[in-house]
Amino acid sequence: MPRRRALSPHAKTVLAVLLDAADQWSHGYELVRLAGVKSGTLYPLLIRLEAQGYLEAEWQQPLEGGRPPRHAYRLTASGVQLARANLPAQALAPASPRREATT
Amino acid sequence: MSTGLRRSLANLACRTLQATLPPSLQSWGWAIRYETAGISDDTTALLFALNSLCGLFPRVIAAQVFHPVAALFGGAAMRSPRALGILCATGAVLLGLVYMAAAGAPTRYLWVNAAALVIGLTMLAVLGRAVTAERCSAEAAIIAMAGALLATALLGADVEGAVRWVYIGGLSVQPSLVLLPMMLALFARTRSTPATLGIIAAALAMALQPDRSMAAMLALYLATLAAIRRDPYVLTALAASVIGFALTLVRADRLPAVPYVDQILYSSFDVHAVAGLAVLSGSALLLVPAIAGWRRDPDNRATYSAFGAIWLVVILAAALGNYPTPVVGYGGSAIIGYALSLLALPKRAGARAGGAAWARDPADGTASDRHLLIALA
Repeated sequence: MPRRRALSPHAKTVLAVLLDAADQWSHGYELVRLAGVKSGTLYPLLIRLEAQGYLEAEWQQPLEGGRPPRHAYRLTASGVQLARANLPAQALAPASPRREATT
Repeated sequence: MSTGLRRSLANLACRTLQATLPPSLQSWGWAIRYETAGISDDTTALLFALNSLCGLFPRVIAAQVFHPVAALFGGAAMRSPRALGILCATGAVLLGLVYMAAAGAPTRYLWVNAAALVIGLTMLAVLGRAVTAERCSAEAAIIAMAGALLATALLGADVEGAVRWVYIGGLSVQPSLVLLPMMLALFARTRSTPATLGIIAAALAMALQPDRSMAAMLALYLATLAAIRRDPYVLTALAASVIGFALTLVRADRLPAVPYVDQILYSSFDVHAVAGLAVLSGSALLLVPAIAGWRRDPDNRATYSAFGAIWLVVILAAALGNYPTPVVGYGGSAIIGYALSLLALPKRAGARAGGAAWARDPADGTASDRHLLIALA
């Protein structure tokens, strides 16, 4: 059982964005924009969430030729529970139209 | 800044991150690199890459310091905590040499520290074999060392009102740094009236010298011991050590900082960032046996806690006042003391050591007591 510690406001926001995405895959830069966090905050958090089993990550091949593959993320079942138990104080503003995740 | 330059810097930041991340995090390095490549705006891409680099840098540093040790010696070291301690001592001394060389310390200082490491490890090897399981031998050793500390306080070299040193062969030695860790390692195993009297005498010596750093170390170690296993001997010794520490606080400490010895946790960064990192990394290495042991060897957590408490206090004292920065700073006493304090660690993980006391009567010895005797021998 991973040890839990109090989540920071940034972590709660990122979790809320991932929760909002439901089964869709999200990408790093997209999360940075939607959650309003810096990439230096995001990636250590993603690494921790994945190590604790709250996040799954996969490599997605590009749809367009010449583009690099992308790392995509979504919450696991336990991650969804964690996100629901740690909603940010302020409800998320209506999300901007989500970019279609490449699969 | 031109567009091409911004994109090049972003690529450089990504490559730097990839080059320094440990193997277990390499996929994240690629993720950041590809994500950066996918950002069309060059300035945004550069900021994304730089922020990622800064955010993951603490992990990079931790990996650079700890991963090689874990990779090379991980399994073996965890099976042999004392071997891990030897490794950490060696690493810390080497990092200290890097600092001193960068800071322009006299070459003699480097040789003294290197020689102290050899002496300390030799003493550890000899004592590790020679220390017998007899409780009376440990009591005699504790009392003898307490006598040496008292003699230092009464007859040692006086510097600005502090009497902590003796001169041996032209070198200034601080006996408390050498002897106190070993005394405490023995006391953890030998709870008896003579041993307790020895610790009380040591507390008195620290108050007389006066030495806040060592007095605090003594008090915190005994407090840790008392929290783990409370008995009249530990509580009595703890009370004496707290009084001794209080007395050191009352007495003025006017010693100025000595170059390459005191205050180097801060001043090393004035020399060069590499020197500063060497000092910080070396100091952190001193605590690795305690941290690794606590995590990997639950049977001996008391021993690791006490060991960690000793050296954490010494490092904190060096950070807060004009006290020697152990092992990485100039001074052989702390190096020998650290090596000898490794006697407190079990030779093999899982073998009981340290935190539990020897039975008062050998006839009362439990199974774990018998393991203790094996671990000490």
